[in-house]
Amino acid sequence: MPDKSGKPGKPGKLTTRNWSQMVALAFGAFIFLFPFYYMLIGSLQKKPDTSIAGAIPVHGVTLDNYAQINERVDLVRSLVNSGIFTGGVILFTVVFGVLAGYALARLHFRGQGVLFALMLLVLTVPFQLLIIPLYVMIVRSYGLADTYLGMILPFAINSTAVFVFRQFFLALPEDLFAAARIDGASELRILWSIALPLVRPALVTAVLLTFIGPWNEFLWPFLVTKDAALQPLAVSLANYISNIAGRAANPYGAILAGAVVLAAPAVALFVAFQKHFTSSELGSGVKG
Amino acid sequence: MPNATVTSQVQDHTGPTRPPPKRRPRRLTTIFGRHPLGMALAAPYAVFLAVVFAYPLGLAVWISFHDYFFTAPGMKVARPFVGLENYRTALADPAVRRSFLNVIEFLVINVPLTVILALVLATALNSAIRARTFLRVAYYIPYVSASVAVVAVWLFLFSNGGMINQLLGPLAPDPSWLVNSHLAMPVIAVFVTWKQLGFFILLYLAALQNVSRELYEAASVDGAGKLRSFISVTVPGVRSATTLVVILATITGANLFTEPYLLTNGGGPNGASASPVLVMYQRGIEQGSPDVASAIGVILVLGVLVVSVVNRRLLERD
Amino acid sequence: MKKKVCAAAVITLAMGTTAACGSSGDSGTSGGTSAQTARGPVKVWLSNNKEELTWGKAMVAAWNTAHPKELVTAQEIPAGKSSEEVIGAAITAGNAPCLVLNTAPAAVPGFQKQGGLVSLDSFPDGKAYVEARSGTAADQYKSPDGKLYQIPWKSNPVMIFYNKDMMTKAGVDPSAPPLATYDQFMATSKKLVASGAAPFAIAPSPTSEFFQSWFDFYPLYAAQSDGKQLVENGKATFDSDAGKKVSNFWRTMYAAKLSPQEKIEGDSFADKKAAMAVVGPWAIPVYKGKVNWGVAPVPTSAGMTADKIHTFSDAKNIAMYSACKNQGTAWDLLKFATSKAQDGALLNLTGQMPLRKDLTTVYADYLVKNPAYKAFADQAARTVEVPNVANSIAIWQAFRDSYSSSVIFGKTPVDAGLKTTADKVNTLAGQS
Repeated sequence: MPDKSGKPGKPGKLTTRNWSQMVALAFGAFIFLFPFYYMLIGSLQKKPDTSIAGAIPVHGVTLDNYAQINERVDLVRSLVNSGIFTGGVILFTVVFGVLAGYALARLHFRGQGVLFALMLLVLTVPFQLLIIPLYVMIVRSYGLADTYLGMILPFAINSTAVFVFRQFFLALPEDLFAAARIDGASELRILWSIALPLVRPALVTAVLLTFIGPWNEFLWPFLVTKDAALQPLAVSLANYISNIAGRAANPYGAILAGAVVLAAPAVALFVAFQKHFTSSELGSGVKG
Repeated sequence: MPNATVTSQVQDHTGPTRPPPKRRPRRLTTIFGRHPLGMALAAPYAVFLAVVFAYPLGLAVWISFHDYFFTAPGMKVARPFVGLENYRTALADPAVRRSFLNVIEFLVINVPLTVILALVLATALNSAIRARTFLRVAYYIPYVSASVAVVAVWLFLFSNGGMINQLLGPLAPDPSWLVNSHLAMPVIAVFVTWKQLGFFILLYLAALQNVSRELYEAASVDGAGKLRSFISVTVPGVRSATTLVVILATITGANLFTEPYLLTNGGGPNGASASPVLVMYQRGIEQGSPDVASAIGVILVLGVLVVSVVNRRLLERD
Repeated sequence: MKKKVCAAAVITLAMGTTAACGSSGDSGTSGGTSAQTARGPVKVWLSNNKEELTWGKAMVAAWNTAHPKELVTAQEIPAGKSSEEVIGAAITAGNAPCLVLNTAPAAVPGFQKQGGLVSLDSFPDGKAYVEARSGTAADQYKSPDGKLYQIPWKSNPVMIFYNKDMMTKAGVDPSAPPLATYDQFMATSKKLVASGAAPFAIAPSPTSEFFQSWFDFYPLYAAQSDGKQLVENGKATFDSDAGKKVSNFWRTMYAAKLSPQEKIEGDSFADKKAAMAVVGPWAIPVYKGKVNWGVAPVPTSAGMTADKIHTFSDAKNIAMYSACKNQGTAWDLLKFATSKAQDGALLNLTGQMPLRKDLTTVYADYLVKNPAYKAFADQAARTVEVPNVANSIAIWQAFRDSYSSSVIFGKTPVDAGLKTTADKVNTLAGQS
């Protein structure tokens, strides 16, 4: 991590740069990135080539596989749906999650412990256990089938993000708060103008964590949306991959092209975020 | 109790920050707590948890003790209380028992691998000077990509005629990876490690910032090499983060679903890679026995809680 | 902390109790006579098979032109891996469409138990209509309570397609390859693979979905057992000589690597990965221009003449769902969609065989013009359906799990596996 804060505590500065370490890291990065490279190359080939030479596109590339997907799946529409679904979840999480995280970390109120315990329990329970009761409730009782709200609701406030917020607020020095309280600032004012600016890195982390969930979620939106015009990208592509690609001219290519379309926006957004992410030094938030 | 686990570890992790309680002798304080505003701020989240989590969870537990199946609205049927019958059915089912064994196999591979790789890579990244941004992006990318997308590539790489087998030539396993009952689960465990590692590296990177530089200096004065100082300074220094990583990895592993569903075509070969959540999905949604499925889910949640307690005891004992 | 955890648990349980009260207390007025005569707009779901979709859209358009006041909206079944779970979930939620034009007979007992289906006998002309159209074949589709919850719609009698070019390459006569007995089938398969003509002889999907046995074990079992269903009179039939012969036949195919234990992505027959395939008449338009194919009936142990061989019907039916508000219109639409004209259009566009008793005479012209369909149309007279029994899907899953273990992967003995599965199936079929 680039240390722009100039604080001490970087073990890396103690040791001389070590080439073997760099080589190991680079090799690791290769293992991590190769499947993505292979995905891209495979999606551009006319015929599946599983040989080792297949990793280098010598026979030219083609966009046919993508054209085939576009014929059966309305990509733009699905992207917009994914955007609304994910955006809604991020909005709810940031607004209500920050409030809850702050309350859990810095305020003392009745039921705080119970709420915290429930939050941790959420993290241990598999979503599949809840999916049927939730489905009955949201679709039958609230009539939210085929709506964005129905898609968003079970994910609306990401508990992991609340947990992250709480951790960050907890790490801020108490003196700051005491001083502000002595100055007569209200709790809301303290949150807005003192605590929040200090935990901006937490916001980025939480947004990233929250983004991944709904963007990649398949099962829930699949159950809630019966209307193809409302399906997010993960659902329409999973459907394409399992039902339609089999009859495409190059099924592997078509599947990989679907995978690229699904992975690309998340990866692109992440890479864009990354700048933000490094410069804002996640570690400083946890340091205290 | 895992709750206690994470709390105490969290406090170690972030340092003592809670102030000594101030005196505010007001009666309202005893009713609402010191900051009644906290209730207002936390209210939306509390309501959300009650509606979207506690209610369905309670319903799932209720279902697991009754003879329950899904009906169309308006259809009235008796739902008699059956005690532990659903639990007996679930535990008597060899497929269910095997799925629990499978997930244990998964955890035995996945958790240590995750902890070791994440810590080593985080330490290396922390001290790397060159190409740090690039390397970090590389390690996080699998984590941010959808399982549906990356599973497709792994299928391609690990299938019978896939690239891995071509590289191995005569050493390729027979039957091939994903249809080999001894290898399917390990491949899934490695896949999940690969996929989730970025997140755990992130946790370790944050924790590494808290390890004081003086300790490393002291170690190097004592003549400790890099390996020594890694073992005697870094590992104990991030111990609380390790507890968190182990617990989170266990929970993620216990909830394993997408990978066996997509990578091995629904837990194949022959159930060798079926996870409890997958079996739950099959029983509950495909075969219309949500009562048995709920029982499996409740057993699983209890199991995760127990494992978390044991983890905490083992890891935090001095 | 412990206290707080307990409190959290208590809250959770308390919520659950309220939840239970809430859900058991809801009552509705669906069904009944008022919905049955009501008319108005209806929704239908169509299969996502390309050819069938074309037919369905044309059918709906024709209806809408003739009935502007009772408009029909159609869309593809929003399916993932299988459509049954989507329909089951929609029934529970009360937002199922009026008709699903592709309801799998195996799923009907489950949907019926959920209260999701409208019995067709409840329409004054319901029973008469179905029997007039399908004849005695309709009996296979009656539920254990004696009522019909589905109209037998179309079948895809399963046969063996073979690649003529590969047969030639393997030195086998492509006009009549020896495939009638198990020995012949095996010998031909070995030639195909040994000569390098094809990587595999035949590649039924080796995965564990409950329905996969319909395309490997069941057609051969129907033939070998002279048309027995998997379960008859509440008892499993497959722990028998016929069941053992069929299972051991496939075991040999897998053991000799003539069939792959790993799923082949895409279409193994079109992609020339396998020389043969288990298909229905839908395959004719699909492989047109892609594979130079021939067709043969499924093999039997000692061989039988083609006109004696039974096979799996792979039928898809139409059912009406109780969430439908305008059941009067839905019933008329159902009759419209299964009329002689629409059945003809379906046959023409998709090659699937309408389940009509007069199939070969009514569409004689078509069969003369399209001789390729003749074999399937003849076979359609001798088909076996999945049994309409309680826990149907659980039964098929139990069967598949054991088949996968013993036949596909050879981990457990085949004959003993049939015995244990039969016991399990008997228990499942006995529950209500």
